[in-house]
Amino acid sequence: MYKRINLFIAVLFVLPAFQVIGQDWVVPAENSAIENPQEYTLKNVKLGKDLYMVNCKSCHGDPGKNNPLPLVPVPPDVVSDQMQSNSVGDLYYKMSIGKGAMPQFETTISEDNRWRIVNFIMNYNSNRKQLLEDKPPVKAQLLASINEDDGTVNVFAEYEDKGGDYSKLVDVPVIFSLKKTFGNLELGECITNENGRSDFIIPGSLIGNEEGFVTIVVSLGEDYEAKDVILENAKICMSKEVPKLIRQGVIWSTNDNLPMWLLLSYIGMVGGAWLAIGYVVFQIIKIRKYSKE
Amino acid sequence: MEKKTRRDFMKTLGVSIGATGVLTSSLLSSCNRVEAVSGDKIKVLTAGGQLVEVDISQLKPAEFPSLSENQERGRKGIPGKSWVMVIDLSKCRNARECMKACQDHHQLRPEQHHINVLQMQDAEHTAPYYMPKPCQHCDDPPCTKVCPVNATFKRDDGIVLIDNERCIGCRFCIAACPYSARVFNWFEPRDAEKYEGVTYNIEANVPQKKGTISKCLFSADLLREDKLPSCVSACPNGVYWFGDRNEDAVTNGTTKETVRFSELIKDNAAYTLMEELGTKPRVFYLPPKDRAFPFEGDAPDHHDA
Repeated sequence: MYKRINLFIAVLFVLPAFQVIGQDWVVPAENSAIENPQEYTLKNVKLGKDLYMVNCKSCHGDPGKNNPLPLVPVPPDVVSDQMQSNSVGDLYYKMSIGKGAMPQFETTISEDNRWRIVNFIMNYNSNRKQLLEDKPPVKAQLLASINEDDGTVNVFAEYEDKGGDYSKLVDVPVIFSLKKTFGNLELGECITNENGRSDFIIPGSLIGNEEGFVTIVVSLGEDYEAKDVILENAKICMSKEVPKLIRQGVIWSTNDNLPMWLLLSYIGMVGGAWLAIGYVVFQIIKIRKYSKE
Repeated sequence: MEKKTRRDFMKTLGVSIGATGVLTSSLLSSCNRVEAVSGDKIKVLTAGGQLVEVDISQLKPAEFPSLSENQERGRKGIPGKSWVMVIDLSKCRNARECMKACQDHHQLRPEQHHINVLQMQDAEHTAPYYMPKPCQHCDDPPCTKVCPVNATFKRDDGIVLIDNERCIGCRFCIAACPYSARVFNWFEPRDAEKYEGVTYNIEANVPQKKGTISKCLFSADLLREDKLPSCVSACPNGVYWFGDRNEDAVTNGTTKETVRFSELIKDNAAYTLMEELGTKPRVFYLPPKDRAFPFEGDAPDHHDA
């Protein structure tokens, strides 16, 4: 409890400090006044969303979910007042130039695309009509089976409609990925047809485990709430080659890596030398013996 | 007086031995029992190096991994894997979170680095950039060949490790390494008292020992649990990619995105350090082109904030 109060006090003091840092970033007046050359349309907002997901989400988090990366200062959420109090010119300037932990995106994202991201942020501005609405994910079901002969995955998707019945999901992307050690490698997607079905051909050039088995993960986009289908141990890929890294042939330091021929020839050479020395010594003794006689 | 046969003698001997056995075992087991009084707390150091507090009644005697088992397992490596790291220099802004996470994980003093972020400028008129530099885990390592006691070695999954139970502190390997990747424990290691009595884990090189070598080992203890190395997952800027070259996939520590290793290397014209020496490094660098952050020299220390 005591600790919690401490934390609370700390947060009380630190929060205004963050806001000060945020407000400290002054944008030159001529940059601040620039209007967005990209039109505020659904298409541009959607494109902006895709760019946001790739470039910004890892720090700023999902819009409205308040899940940014804990940096100092904390990257503001897209929906927050701190973000929305900026003019379009401010937003464009800040994402282009960067400051501290905020990257300078003028080197990596084109001008048009930066304005599209501004459009996406403006989608959550209270003064504008929201073009792209966040709908709660629809409950859905996904069925998938794999044909190992031709490497095709057959998919059937259906969703729960308002009446609680399941009906087929038409014209929706289904994403296929390959399970790897630390994450899933995206292979591609296919769109379901009018029967809610779709086929996806797994490229044969993929690398599985030592026996050639792979695990394929089939999932629906984030608009749908459905369990991913995990197809385990499918034998459709090349098997992974495991080259030997430890080279044999060192005589020092590592006895385990010592090849037998090297050991035998070494012992043979040393033994031979000792035998030769022994032979000479024996002969000298013999000569002594004969000389005494 | 009746005469004792040999058979009688054996009988009494057997009975008395049995009785002693039962008595000793019951005595021993009573000694082993931990008094279960709840409410009392005890401080315990986890294998990851964290000090935690647990209720004394929750304590059970644990199976301790034996040192020799640890060493044997540590020499074999993780079957079928071939670990590689890709460092994207265009993303690094000298945040130094990787160095901090590494020093926490491997019990390193502030001046000791398994990974170090360097400020680089290749020539007079070229652009300066930040370069994180861990051990390159060479496929043809010069350091392992000079060790006179077989303390440092290459594993089949690509990692070069050090066994500080064998190390005699001759520092030949420091002299042999062209990347200056190794550090020596000149002083008592950090938090030495905290780690007292902990079984040596060769895959994390913890506890460190004064007078021995320490080096980057791609957090081999975490890899065994299918977790990314501590520097990779600590980076806030997406600099590091890590994965298994045999399955041709690397995963970004920040975004958790997985891509094909061969494509990443090809598309970005990756290079390795000092490839002319023929050491065949396992750490690949993507050139510092289209940088996300400008070069600012000595960046402020973010950990003070």
